Amino acid sequence: MNTKPLLRPLFATTVLATFTFSAPVMAEGVVAGTLIENTATATYEDGEGEKTVDSNTVTVTVDELLDVTVTSLDGGPVGTAPGQAVLSYEVTNQGNGPEAFTLIADPAVAGNDFDTVVELIAIDTNGNGVYDDGVDEILTGPETTPELAADEAVTVFVVVTVPGDANDTEVSQVELRADAVTGTGAPGDTFAGAGVGGVDAIVGTTGASAIANGSLVIGLITVDLTKAVSVVDPFGGTGAVPGSVATFTISAEVVGDGSLDALVITDAIPADTTYVAGSLALDGNPLTDADGDDAGSASDAAGISVDIGTVNGGDTYEVTFDVTID
Amino acid sequence: MKTFAKIIAAPLLIASASLGVPALAQETPSVVVSGDVKQVEVSTNADGEEVTNLVDIDLTVPGTRLVFRTNYENTTSEVIRNFTLTNPMHPSVRLAPDADEDLTVSVDGGDTWGSLSSLSVTEEDGSTRTATHADVTHVRWTIAEIPAGGSGQVQMPAVIR
Repeated sequence: MNTKPLLRPLFATTVLATFTFSAPVMAEGVVAGTLIENTATATYEDGEGEKTVDSNTVTVTVDELLDVTVTSLDGGPVGTAPGQAVLSYEVTNQGNGPEAFTLIADPAVAGNDFDTVVELIAIDTNGNGVYDDGVDEILTGPETTPELAADEAVTVFVVVTVPGDANDTEVSQVELRADAVTGTGAPGDTFAGAGVGGVDAIVGTTGASAIANGSLVIGLITVDLTKAVSVVDPFGGTGAVPGSVATFTISAEVVGDGSLDALVITDAIPADTTYVAGSLALDGNPLTDADGDDAGSASDAAGISVDIGTVNGGDTYEVTFDVTID
Repeated sequence: MKTFAKIIAAPLLIASASLGVPALAQETPSVVVSGDVKQVEVSTNADGEEVTNLVDIDLTVPGTRLVFRTNYENTTSEVIRNFTLTNPMHPSVRLAPDADEDLTVSVDGGDTWGSLSSLSVTEEDGSTRTATHADVTHVRWTIAEIPAGGSGQVQMPAVIR
């Protein structure tokens, strides 16, 4: 079985999960508005005996630092075809106070083979890392995140339309920029009284603005594999008992335009079952179990293999084989 | 409800304790203790060298370096003995990494004292490690005698966490 189409989504899920778990980790950083108070205490002996005296209390109010980072959550170019595509980003408030961020998606990144059209920017409202149409909140202009607490991160989706004239293997990037609503500027720039609780806000090392690029690659052709099984038991029913015959059907659908070379579908014979000799077939046409005489081969040890060869977008294939339950 | 009552009781005790101190201090203390705080500003001089200055508090964010200064003055005509000044480290700051190594500090809320390198911290799992600047809870200075009319200043450098 060509496992690539299966592995990719799995990998993507793992990457997303890692980021989701890392998000709540709090960096050290005193929250804006914190009062740092200090009173020294002295003890001493004078002519009358031991005395204690306090100093006055000095207070420092911590100002608000404006910092933000944006990262792409896709872990690599997202394979897509003309039509809708979704890019995922994470926006993290690296400052020490609550802050919202204006989001600007730019599909015209230098070096793009083609440019997409940005349809919408959405927040991962249900936190599952996947854009859910009708569930995740679509932001309206000016697109702005909810207020994020210090060190809080939010997943942002940019939904784009890939033009119909994009060619296979062409790449396009989409830039997402996040700007602190309080203001951006050079590190050290200040916004008097604009921080939480009226403290001053000061632009941090990120300039209170950050960008990240998400990337799309046109893969006009992919293979969708689905596997089904039906069981017939020795008594005419469908129970999976010793002696039952299970028929596996692997359906391959070639999606997209163009062609793909050397498509080979392989599968293992499940444990505690035995391959039924001569049962391998492609689209209903029997294939021999021997290797080398035709497109198919099958054995308990090696499993089944069907070499379909060059395939074209829109093609569908169906591989079937039987096993008996030991 | 018991737990709740205990929680309330604890701050009350602290409050009454701290109220008691100023009451003592009000009878014209022999030593006047006053504090201020400055922030450290690093600039480059005409020769291109880095110069650190203590300036009034302006913008303070995590990482800002502060210096808590305490002035003391013996206002009497007598010698003051065994003058001990204790400065607590606010949880939002840590002792600056370049603080004087010989400072007498505590990492356990003031129970034990010593130079930082002589102290250790017990982790939750029971293991111990050498104390670091971030562990310091108090700094203490001891001055055996302040002559009549004598005065001085001590400084505690800190960094906002």
